[in-house]
Amino acid sequence: MRPADLTPVARDVMKGPASLGVIFFSLVGAYLLAVLPWSGAWLLARPDFVLLVVVFWVLHEPRAIGQGAAFALGLLMDVSDSMLLGQHALAYVVAVFIVQVFRVRILAFGLAEQTLHVLGVTFVASGVTLLLNLLLGADFPGLAYFVSPVLTALLWAPVNWVLHSSVVRRRRMAP
Amino acid sequence: MIREPPAFFHRGPSPLARVTFFTLASIAFMIADHRFHALETVRLSLSALSYPIQQVAALPGEGVARFADYFASQDRLLRENRELRAEVLDQSAAAQEAKLLKAEVAHLTAMTSGHSRYAENGIVAEVLYAARNPFTRKIVVDKGLTSSVRAGMPVIDGSGVVGQVTNVNTLTSEVTLVTEKDQSVPVMVVRNGLRAIAVGSGKDGSIDIPFMPVSADVQTGDVFVTSGIDGTYPPGLVVAEVTSVQKNAAYVFAKISAKPAAGVDYYRYVMLLPLPAQGAPAPQTKAEEAPKKTAKERARARRQP
Repeated sequence: MRPADLTPVARDVMKGPASLGVIFFSLVGAYLLAVLPWSGAWLLARPDFVLLVVVFWVLHEPRAIGQGAAFALGLLMDVSDSMLLGQHALAYVVAVFIVQVFRVRILAFGLAEQTLHVLGVTFVASGVTLLLNLLLGADFPGLAYFVSPVLTALLWAPVNWVLHSSVVRRRRMAP
Repeated sequence: MIREPPAFFHRGPSPLARVTFFTLASIAFMIADHRFHALETVRLSLSALSYPIQQVAALPGEGVARFADYFASQDRLLRENRELRAEVLDQSAAAQEAKLLKAEVAHLTAMTSGHSRYAENGIVAEVLYAARNPFTRKIVVDKGLTSSVRAGMPVIDGSGVVGQVTNVNTLTSEVTLVTEKDQSVPVMVVRNGLRAIAVGSGKDGSIDIPFMPVSADVQTGDVFVTSGIDGTYPPGLVVAEVTSVQKNAAYVFAKISAKPAAGVDYYRYVMLLPLPAQGAPAPQTKAEEAPKKTAKERARARRQP
Protein backbone atom coordinates (compact mmCIF):
# COMPACT_ATOMS: atom_id res chain seq x y z
CA MET A 1 0.00 0.00 0.00
CA ARG A 2 1.37 3.35 -0.96
CA PRO A 3 1.45 6.15 1.57
CA ALA A 4 -1.65 8.30 1.72
CA ASP A 5 -1.74 11.22 -0.64
CA LEU A 6 -1.93 14.32 1.50
CA THR A 7 -2.26 16.89 -1.26
CA PRO A 8 -6.01 17.46 -0.93
CA VAL A 9 -5.48 18.78 2.59
CA ALA A 10 -2.86 21.21 1.39
CA ARG A 11 -5.15 22.18 -1.44
CA ASP A 12 -7.96 22.79 1.04
CA VAL A 13 -5.90 25.27 2.95
CA MET A 14 -5.44 27.37 -0.13
CA LYS A 15 -8.87 27.22 -1.66
CA GLY A 16 -11.45 29.93 -1.44
CA PRO A 17 -15.06 29.25 -0.46
CA ALA A 18 -17.53 28.10 -3.08
CA SER A 19 -20.37 30.54 -3.56
CA LEU A 20 -23.76 29.63 -2.14
CA GLY A 21 -25.18 29.91 -5.65
CA VAL A 22 -22.96 27.08 -6.87
CA ILE A 23 -24.00 24.92 -3.93
CA PHE A 24 -27.69 25.68 -4.49
CA PHE A 25 -27.67 25.02 -8.22
CA SER A 26 -25.65 21.82 -7.87
CA LEU A 27 -28.32 20.55 -5.46
CA VAL A 28 -31.10 21.60 -7.84
CA GLY A 29 -29.30 19.74 -10.64
CA ALA A 30 -28.95 16.62 -8.49
CA TYR A 31 -32.64 16.80 -7.57
CA LEU A 32 -33.55 17.18 -11.24
CA LEU A 33 -31.65 13.99 -12.07
CA ALA A 34 -33.31 12.20 -9.17
CA VAL A 35 -36.87 13.05 -10.28
CA LEU A 36 -36.50 11.87 -13.86
CA PRO A 37 -39.19 9.24 -14.52
CA TRP A 38 -37.22 6.26 -13.23
CA SER A 39 -39.20 3.03 -12.99
CA GLY A 40 -38.81 -0.71 -12.69
CA ALA A 41 -35.23 -1.99 -12.74
CA TRP A 42 -33.96 1.53 -13.49
CA LEU A 43 -35.50 2.71 -10.24
CA LEU A 44 -33.59 0.09 -8.25
CA ALA A 45 -30.39 1.16 -9.99
CA ARG A 46 -31.02 4.91 -9.62
CA PRO A 47 -27.99 6.52 -7.97
CA ASP A 48 -28.76 8.85 -5.09
CA PHE A 49 -27.55 12.04 -6.76
CA VAL A 50 -28.76 14.33 -3.99
CA LEU A 51 -26.88 12.39 -1.31
CA LEU A 52 -23.75 12.43 -3.41
CA VAL A 53 -23.80 16.21 -3.87
CA VAL A 54 -24.63 16.75 -0.19
CA VAL A 55 -21.67 14.56 0.80
CA PHE A 56 -19.42 16.54 -1.52
CA TRP A 57 -20.41 19.86 0.01
CA VAL A 58 -20.19 18.54 3.57
CA LEU A 59 -16.63 17.52 2.79
CA HIS A 60 -15.62 20.72 1.06
CA GLU A 61 -17.89 23.38 2.58
CA PRO A 62 -18.70 22.07 6.05
CA ARG A 63 -19.81 25.49 7.26
CA ALA A 64 -22.36 25.92 4.47
CA ILE A 65 -24.09 22.53 4.45
CA GLY A 66 -24.75 20.33 7.44
CA GLN A 67 -27.26 18.02 8.96
CA GLY A 68 -30.07 20.59 8.86
CA ALA A 69 -29.82 20.94 5.09
CA ALA A 70 -29.56 17.15 4.76
CA PHE A 71 -32.73 16.78 6.81
CA ALA A 72 -34.64 19.30 4.68
CA LEU A 73 -33.46 17.72 1.42
CA GLY A 74 -34.39 14.30 2.79
CA LEU A 75 -37.95 15.50 3.42
CA LEU A 76 -38.08 16.84 -0.13
CA MET A 77 -36.95 13.46 -1.49
CA ASP A 78 -39.55 11.71 0.67
CA VAL A 79 -42.31 13.82 -0.83
CA SER A 80 -41.18 13.39 -4.41
CA ASP A 81 -40.57 9.64 -4.01
CA SER A 82 -43.96 9.20 -2.28
CA MET A 83 -42.39 7.71 0.80
CA LEU A 84 -43.25 8.14 4.44
CA LEU A 85 -42.00 11.56 5.55
CA GLY A 86 -38.70 11.26 7.38
CA GLN A 87 -37.17 8.15 5.81
CA HIS A 88 -34.77 9.85 3.44
CA ALA A 89 -34.30 12.56 6.04
CA LEU A 90 -33.00 10.05 8.60
CA ALA A 91 -30.80 8.31 6.03
CA TYR A 92 -29.25 11.60 4.87
CA VAL A 93 -28.70 12.88 8.41
CA VAL A 94 -26.91 9.67 9.43
CA ALA A 95 -24.82 9.75 6.24
CA VAL A 96 -23.84 13.38 6.77
CA PHE A 97 -22.94 12.65 10.39
CA ILE A 98 -20.54 9.90 9.29
CA VAL A 99 -18.98 12.22 6.71
CA GLN A 100 -18.60 14.99 9.30
CA VAL A 101 -16.84 12.66 11.73
CA PHE A 102 -14.46 11.27 9.10
CA ARG A 103 -14.14 14.49 7.10
CA VAL A 104 -10.43 15.16 7.57
CA ARG A 105 -9.59 11.51 7.09
CA ILE A 106 -11.58 11.25 3.84
CA LEU A 107 -10.06 14.44 2.44
CA ALA A 108 -6.58 13.05 3.12
CA PHE A 109 -7.17 10.20 0.72
CA GLY A 110 -7.01 10.09 -3.08
CA LEU A 111 -10.02 9.64 -5.31
CA ALA A 112 -10.04 5.80 -5.25
CA GLU A 113 -9.94 5.59 -1.46
CA GLN A 114 -12.48 8.39 -1.20
CA THR A 115 -14.79 6.31 -3.41
CA LEU A 116 -14.51 3.42 -0.97
CA HIS A 117 -15.40 5.73 1.92
CA VAL A 118 -18.38 7.07 -0.03
CA LEU A 119 -19.42 3.48 -0.74
CA GLY A 120 -19.60 2.86 2.99
CA VAL A 121 -21.66 6.00 3.50
CA THR A 122 -24.13 5.17 0.69
CA PHE A 123 -24.51 1.63 2.01
CA VAL A 124 -25.37 2.96 5.45
CA ALA A 125 -27.90 5.41 3.94
CA SER A 126 -29.56 2.70 1.82
CA GLY A 127 -29.47 0.33 4.76
CA VAL A 128 -31.34 2.84 6.94
CA THR A 129 -34.07 3.29 4.32
CA LEU A 130 -34.31 -0.47 3.76
CA LEU A 131 -34.53 -1.20 7.47
CA LEU A 132 -37.25 1.41 8.01
CA ASN A 133 -39.33 0.01 5.14
CA LEU A 134 -38.91 -3.57 6.34
CA LEU A 135 -40.04 -2.45 9.80
CA LEU A 136 -43.12 -0.90 8.18
CA GLY A 137 -43.98 -4.24 6.57
CA ALA A 138 -42.66 -3.87 3.04
CA ASP A 139 -41.14 -6.82 1.20
CA PHE A 140 -37.41 -6.97 0.55
CA PRO A 141 -37.06 -5.64 -3.00
CA GLY A 142 -34.26 -8.07 -3.81
CA LEU A 143 -30.49 -7.83 -3.86
CA ALA A 144 -30.78 -5.48 -6.83
CA TYR A 145 -31.60 -2.86 -4.21
CA PHE A 146 -27.88 -2.64 -3.44
CA VAL A 147 -27.00 -1.74 -7.02
CA SER A 148 -27.99 1.85 -6.26
CA PRO A 149 -25.46 2.51 -3.46
CA VAL A 150 -22.67 0.95 -5.55
CA LEU A 151 -23.55 3.10 -8.56
CA THR A 152 -23.78 6.15 -6.31
CA ALA A 153 -20.25 5.52 -5.04
CA LEU A 154 -18.95 4.96 -8.58
CA LEU A 155 -20.33 8.39 -9.51
CA TRP A 156 -18.15 10.00 -6.85
CA ALA A 157 -15.28 10.57 -9.28
CA PRO A 158 -17.42 12.31 -11.97
CA VAL A 159 -19.18 14.43 -9.36
CA ASN A 160 -15.83 15.40 -7.91
CA TRP A 161 -14.60 16.32 -11.34
CA VAL A 162 -17.66 18.47 -12.07
CA LEU A 163 -17.94 20.22 -8.72
CA HIS A 164 -14.28 20.51 -7.83
CA SER A 165 -13.65 23.12 -10.49
CA SER A 166 -15.77 25.50 -8.45
CA VAL A 167 -13.54 25.19 -5.39
CA VAL A 168 -10.14 24.63 -6.94
CA ARG A 169 -10.20 27.43 -9.44
CA ARG A 170 -8.81 29.88 -6.89
CA ARG A 171 -5.88 27.64 -5.99
CA ARG A 172 -4.36 28.16 -9.43
CA MET A 173 -4.33 31.89 -8.84
CA ALA A 174 -2.71 31.46 -5.45
CA PRO A 175 1.08 31.03 -5.51
CA MET B 1 -15.16 8.76 18.54
CA ILE B 2 -15.22 12.53 18.13
CA ARG B 3 -12.62 14.21 20.28
CA GLU B 4 -12.37 17.80 19.22
CA PRO B 5 -9.88 20.29 20.60
CA PRO B 6 -11.41 23.34 22.26
CA ALA B 7 -12.84 25.35 19.39
CA PHE B 8 -11.46 28.74 18.43
CA PHE B 9 -14.78 29.65 16.94
CA HIS B 10 -18.26 29.05 18.18
CA ARG B 11 -19.69 26.25 16.05
CA GLY B 12 -22.94 25.41 17.75
CA PRO B 13 -23.83 21.95 19.00
CA SER B 14 -21.50 19.04 18.26
CA PRO B 15 -22.23 16.70 15.34
CA LEU B 16 -23.28 14.00 17.79
CA ALA B 17 -25.80 16.31 19.46
CA ARG B 18 -27.10 17.37 16.06
CA VAL B 19 -27.45 13.81 14.75
CA THR B 20 -29.34 12.84 17.89
CA PHE B 21 -31.69 15.78 17.46
CA PHE B 22 -32.33 15.17 13.77
CA THR B 23 -32.77 11.41 14.27
CA LEU B 24 -35.42 12.05 16.87
CA ALA B 25 -36.99 14.68 14.59
CA SER B 26 -37.21 12.29 11.65
CA ILE B 27 -38.63 9.53 13.82
CA ALA B 28 -41.23 12.01 15.08
CA PHE B 29 -42.02 12.93 11.45
CA MET B 30 -42.42 9.27 10.54
CA ILE B 31 -44.75 8.56 13.43
CA ALA B 32 -46.79 11.69 12.76
CA ASP B 33 -47.09 10.81 9.07
CA HIS B 34 -47.74 7.09 9.50
CA ARG B 35 -50.05 7.08 12.50
CA PHE B 36 -51.82 10.40 12.41
CA HIS B 37 -51.46 11.63 8.80
CA ALA B 38 -50.69 14.95 10.42
CA LEU B 39 -48.14 16.44 8.05
CA GLU B 40 -50.28 17.10 5.00
CA THR B 41 -49.28 20.77 4.98
CA VAL B 42 -45.57 19.90 4.92
CA ARG B 43 -46.17 17.43 2.12
CA LEU B 44 -48.32 19.87 0.14
CA SER B 45 -45.91 22.76 0.41
CA LEU B 46 -42.86 20.63 -0.44
CA SER B 47 -44.61 19.15 -3.46
CA ALA B 48 -45.68 22.60 -4.62
CA LEU B 49 -42.09 23.80 -4.17
CA SER B 50 -40.65 20.96 -6.25
CA TYR B 51 -43.39 20.97 -8.90
CA PRO B 52 -41.51 23.17 -11.44
CA ILE B 53 -38.41 20.97 -11.21
CA GLN B 54 -40.53 17.85 -11.59
CA GLN B 55 -42.13 19.39 -14.69
CA VAL B 56 -38.70 20.08 -16.18
CA ALA B 57 -37.63 16.51 -15.40
CA ALA B 58 -40.70 15.16 -17.20
CA LEU B 59 -39.91 17.13 -20.37
CA PRO B 60 -37.46 14.72 -22.09
CA GLY B 61 -39.79 11.75 -21.67
CA GLU B 62 -42.74 13.74 -23.02
CA GLY B 63 -40.67 14.93 -25.95
CA VAL B 64 -39.72 11.38 -26.89
CA ALA B 65 -43.34 10.25 -26.59
CA ARG B 66 -44.56 13.14 -28.82
CA PHE B 67 -41.83 12.39 -31.35
CA ALA B 68 -42.84 8.73 -31.43
CA ASP B 69 -46.52 9.67 -31.75
CA TYR B 70 -45.77 11.95 -34.67
CA PHE B 71 -44.00 9.24 -36.58
CA ALA B 72 -46.43 6.47 -35.67
CA SER B 73 -46.95 4.40 -38.76
CA GLN B 74 -50.20 4.83 -40.62
CA ASP B 75 -50.47 1.08 -40.76
CA ARG B 76 -50.63 0.86 -37.00
CA LEU B 77 -53.16 3.66 -36.76
CA LEU B 78 -55.40 2.00 -39.34
CA ARG B 79 -55.20 -1.31 -37.54
CA GLU B 80 -56.00 0.31 -34.22
CA ASN B 81 -58.91 2.11 -35.83
CA ARG B 82 -60.32 -1.11 -37.23
CA GLU B 83 -59.98 -2.86 -33.91
CA LEU B 84 -61.63 0.00 -32.06
CA ARG B 85 -64.56 0.06 -34.51
CA ALA B 86 -65.08 -3.66 -34.04
CA GLU B 87 -64.99 -3.14 -30.31
CA VAL B 88 -67.55 -0.34 -30.49
CA LEU B 89 -69.95 -2.58 -32.41
CA ASP B 90 -69.31 -5.31 -29.92
CA GLN B 91 -70.07 -3.11 -26.97
CA SER B 92 -72.95 -1.10 -28.38
CA ALA B 93 -75.39 -3.95 -27.91
CA ALA B 94 -74.33 -4.33 -24.30
CA ALA B 95 -74.44 -0.58 -23.83
CA GLN B 96 -78.02 -0.35 -25.08
CA GLU B 97 -79.05 -3.12 -22.78
CA ALA B 98 -77.27 -1.38 -19.93
CA LYS B 99 -79.09 1.86 -20.81
CA LEU B 100 -82.38 0.09 -20.57
CA LEU B 101 -81.48 -1.48 -17.27
CA LYS B 102 -80.24 1.83 -15.96
CA ALA B 103 -83.50 3.50 -16.90
CA GLU B 104 -85.39 0.78 -15.09
CA VAL B 105 -83.21 1.10 -12.03
CA ALA B 106 -83.60 4.89 -12.06
CA HIS B 107 -87.35 4.42 -12.26
CA LEU B 108 -87.35 1.94 -9.39
CA THR B 109 -85.10 4.00 -7.16
CA ALA B 110 -87.21 7.08 -7.88
CA MET B 111 -90.23 5.12 -6.76
CA THR B 112 -88.59 4.13 -3.51
CA SER B 113 -87.35 7.73 -3.14
CA GLY B 114 -83.84 6.43 -2.65
CA HIS B 115 -80.74 8.15 -3.85
CA SER B 116 -78.11 6.82 -6.14
CA ARG B 117 -75.10 6.04 -3.97
CA TYR B 118 -72.66 6.90 -6.70
CA ALA B 119 -72.41 10.02 -8.79
CA GLU B 120 -72.25 9.61 -12.53
CA ASN B 121 -69.11 11.31 -13.63
CA GLY B 122 -65.54 10.53 -12.85
CA ILE B 123 -62.41 12.57 -13.41
CA VAL B 124 -60.20 11.48 -16.28
CA ALA B 125 -56.51 11.76 -15.43
CA GLU B 126 -53.29 11.03 -17.24
CA VAL B 127 -50.71 8.79 -15.61
CA LEU B 128 -47.55 10.85 -15.17
CA TYR B 129 -45.13 8.25 -13.89
CA ALA B 130 -44.79 5.29 -11.58
CA ALA B 131 -43.85 6.48 -8.10
CA ARG B 132 -40.08 6.35 -7.60
CA ASN B 133 -40.31 4.08 -4.61
CA PRO B 134 -39.02 0.51 -4.85
CA PHE B 135 -41.01 -0.57 -1.80
CA THR B 136 -44.54 0.24 -2.93
CA ARG B 137 -46.70 0.04 -6.03
CA LYS B 138 -48.05 3.48 -6.75
CA ILE B 139 -48.59 5.69 -9.77
CA VAL B 140 -48.83 9.47 -9.93
CA VAL B 141 -51.62 11.08 -11.99
CA ASP B 142 -52.00 14.65 -13.15
CA LYS B 143 -55.11 15.67 -11.23
CA GLY B 144 -55.00 16.93 -7.67
CA LEU B 145 -56.77 19.15 -5.18
CA THR B 146 -57.47 21.74 -7.90
CA SER B 147 -59.57 19.14 -9.75
CA SER B 148 -61.31 18.24 -6.47
CA VAL B 149 -59.66 14.82 -6.16
CA ARG B 150 -60.14 13.32 -2.71
CA ALA B 151 -58.16 10.61 -0.98
CA GLY B 152 -59.99 7.32 -1.14
CA MET B 153 -61.44 7.68 -4.64
CA PRO B 154 -61.45 4.41 -6.60
CA VAL B 155 -59.45 4.47 -9.84
CA ILE B 156 -60.35 2.43 -12.92
CA ASP B 157 -59.17 2.10 -16.49
CA GLY B 158 -60.92 0.64 -19.53
CA SER B 159 -60.72 -2.91 -18.30
CA GLY B 160 -60.98 -2.85 -14.52
CA VAL B 161 -60.01 -1.51 -11.14
CA VAL B 162 -56.55 0.08 -11.00
CA GLY B 163 -56.44 1.09 -7.36
CA GLN B 164 -57.34 3.87 -4.99
CA VAL B 165 -56.19 7.46 -4.48
CA THR B 166 -54.13 7.49 -1.30
CA ASN B 167 -52.48 10.89 -1.33
CA VAL B 168 -53.54 14.16 -2.92
CA ASN B 169 -51.20 17.03 -3.76
CA THR B 170 -52.14 20.35 -5.28
CA LEU B 171 -51.78 19.34 -8.93
CA THR B 172 -51.03 15.63 -8.75
CA SER B 173 -52.18 12.68 -6.71
CA GLU B 174 -50.84 9.26 -5.83
CA VAL B 175 -52.77 6.12 -6.65
CA THR B 176 -51.95 2.90 -4.79
CA LEU B 177 -52.38 -0.05 -7.14
CA VAL B 178 -54.48 -3.08 -6.25
CA THR B 179 -51.31 -5.18 -6.45
CA GLU B 180 -49.72 -3.25 -3.54
CA LYS B 181 -49.16 -5.41 -0.50
CA ASP B 182 -52.18 -5.45 1.85
CA GLN B 183 -54.26 -3.23 -0.46
CA SER B 184 -57.63 -4.94 -0.27
CA VAL B 185 -60.82 -4.73 -2.34
CA PRO B 186 -64.10 -6.44 -1.43
CA VAL B 187 -65.04 -8.63 -4.38
CA MET B 188 -67.42 -11.34 -5.47
CA VAL B 189 -67.30 -14.11 -8.05
CA VAL B 190 -69.44 -13.20 -11.07
CA ARG B 191 -70.45 -16.83 -11.67
CA ASN B 192 -72.02 -17.53 -8.28
CA GLY B 193 -71.93 -14.34 -6.21
CA LEU B 194 -69.49 -15.74 -3.67
CA ARG B 195 -68.02 -12.83 -1.69
CA ALA B 196 -64.35 -12.52 -0.85
CA ILE B 197 -61.63 -9.97 -0.33
CA ALA B 198 -58.90 -9.49 -2.93
CA VAL B 199 -55.59 -8.52 -1.36
CA GLY B 200 -52.57 -7.27 -3.29
CA SER B 201 -49.62 -9.61 -3.09
CA GLY B 202 -46.88 -7.00 -3.35
CA LYS B 203 -45.70 -8.54 -6.61
CA ASP B 204 -46.40 -7.10 -10.02
CA GLY B 205 -49.39 -8.63 -11.78
CA SER B 206 -50.67 -10.78 -8.96
CA ILE B 207 -53.50 -10.57 -6.43
CA ASP B 208 -54.26 -13.08 -3.66
CA ILE B 209 -57.68 -14.16 -2.41
CA PRO B 210 -56.91 -15.23 1.15
CA PHE B 211 -59.17 -16.87 3.74
CA MET B 212 -61.31 -18.85 1.30
CA PRO B 213 -62.21 -22.30 2.65
CA VAL B 214 -60.97 -25.29 0.71
CA SER B 215 -64.58 -26.12 -0.12
CA ALA B 216 -65.23 -22.69 -1.70
CA ASP B 217 -66.55 -22.82 -5.24
CA VAL B 218 -63.80 -20.95 -7.06
CA GLN B 219 -62.32 -22.17 -10.32
CA THR B 220 -59.50 -21.07 -12.55
CA GLY B 221 -60.87 -18.48 -14.97
CA ASP B 222 -63.47 -17.09 -12.56
CA VAL B 223 -63.81 -13.33 -12.68
CA PHE B 224 -63.90 -11.27 -9.51
CA VAL B 225 -65.84 -8.00 -9.59
CA THR B 226 -66.22 -5.44 -6.81
CA SER B 227 -69.11 -6.30 -4.54
CA GLY B 228 -69.71 -2.73 -3.46
CA ILE B 229 -70.31 -3.60 0.17
CA ASP B 230 -67.46 -1.40 1.36
CA GLY B 231 -69.16 1.78 0.18
CA THR B 232 -66.03 2.89 -1.67
CA TYR B 233 -65.91 0.91 -4.87
CA PRO B 234 -69.12 0.89 -6.91
CA PRO B 235 -70.33 -2.68 -7.48
CA GLY B 236 -69.58 -4.53 -10.69
CA LEU B 237 -66.12 -3.31 -11.64
CA VAL B 238 -63.84 -6.10 -12.81
CA VAL B 239 -60.92 -6.60 -10.42
CA ALA B 240 -59.14 -9.82 -11.32
CA GLU B 241 -59.31 -13.18 -13.02
CA VAL B 242 -58.35 -16.32 -11.14
CA THR B 243 -55.19 -17.90 -12.51
CA SER B 244 -54.61 -20.74 -10.07
CA VAL B 245 -56.49 -22.47 -7.29
CA GLN B 246 -54.60 -24.84 -5.01
CA LYS B 247 -56.83 -26.83 -2.68
CA ASN B 248 -54.81 -28.79 -0.20
CA ALA B 249 -56.77 -30.47 2.58
CA ALA B 250 -53.77 -30.07 4.87
CA TYR B 251 -54.44 -26.33 5.06
CA VAL B 252 -57.53 -24.57 6.29
CA PHE B 253 -57.67 -22.18 3.37
CA ALA B 254 -57.34 -22.60 -0.37
CA LYS B 255 -54.49 -20.78 -2.06
CA ILE B 256 -56.03 -18.65 -4.80
CA SER B 257 -54.03 -16.31 -7.05
CA ALA B 258 -55.51 -13.96 -9.58
CA LYS B 259 -54.32 -11.63 -12.31
CA PRO B 260 -55.49 -7.99 -12.13
CA ALA B 261 -57.89 -7.13 -14.96
CA ALA B 262 -56.70 -3.56 -15.40
CA GLY B 263 -53.44 -3.04 -17.24
CA VAL B 264 -51.82 -2.16 -13.94
CA ASP B 265 -48.50 -1.33 -15.56
CA TYR B 266 -49.18 0.02 -19.02
CA TYR B 267 -52.19 2.32 -19.22
CA ARG B 268 -51.92 5.99 -20.00
CA TYR B 269 -55.30 7.35 -18.87
CA VAL B 270 -57.33 6.37 -15.86
CA MET B 271 -60.60 7.53 -14.37
CA LEU B 272 -61.01 8.61 -10.77
CA LEU B 273 -64.52 7.76 -9.61
CA PRO B 274 -66.19 10.04 -7.10
CA LEU B 275 -66.71 8.81 -3.59
CA PRO B 276 -70.27 7.78 -2.72
CA ALA B 277 -72.41 10.88 -2.31
CA GLN B 278 -73.76 9.70 0.98
CA GLY B 279 -72.45 6.53 2.44
CA ALA B 280 -74.49 4.43 4.79
CA PRO B 281 -73.64 5.33 8.37
CA ALA B 282 -70.91 3.16 9.77
CA PRO B 283 -72.25 0.54 12.18
CA GLN B 284 -71.70 1.28 15.81
CA THR B 285 -68.89 -0.63 17.37
CA LYS B 286 -69.48 -2.55 20.55
CA ALA B 287 -67.43 -0.10 22.53
CA GLU B 288 -69.66 2.77 21.42
CA GLU B 289 -72.85 0.90 22.15
CA ALA B 290 -72.05 -0.01 25.71
CA PRO B 291 -69.32 2.02 27.34
CA LYS B 292 -67.19 -0.25 29.46
CA LYS B 293 -68.17 -0.25 33.08
CA THR B 294 -65.49 0.83 35.41
CA ALA B 295 -64.29 -1.54 38.09
CA LYS B 296 -66.15 0.50 40.71
CA GLU B 297 -69.46 0.21 38.87
CA ARG B 298 -68.99 -3.50 38.38
CA ALA B 299 -68.30 -3.98 42.06
CA ARG B 300 -71.42 -1.95 42.94
CA ALA B 301 -73.53 -4.08 40.59
CA ARG B 302 -72.23 -7.23 42.21
CA ARG B 303 -73.02 -5.97 45.72
CA GLN B 304 -76.59 -5.05 44.86
CA PRO B 305 -78.70 -8.17 44.43
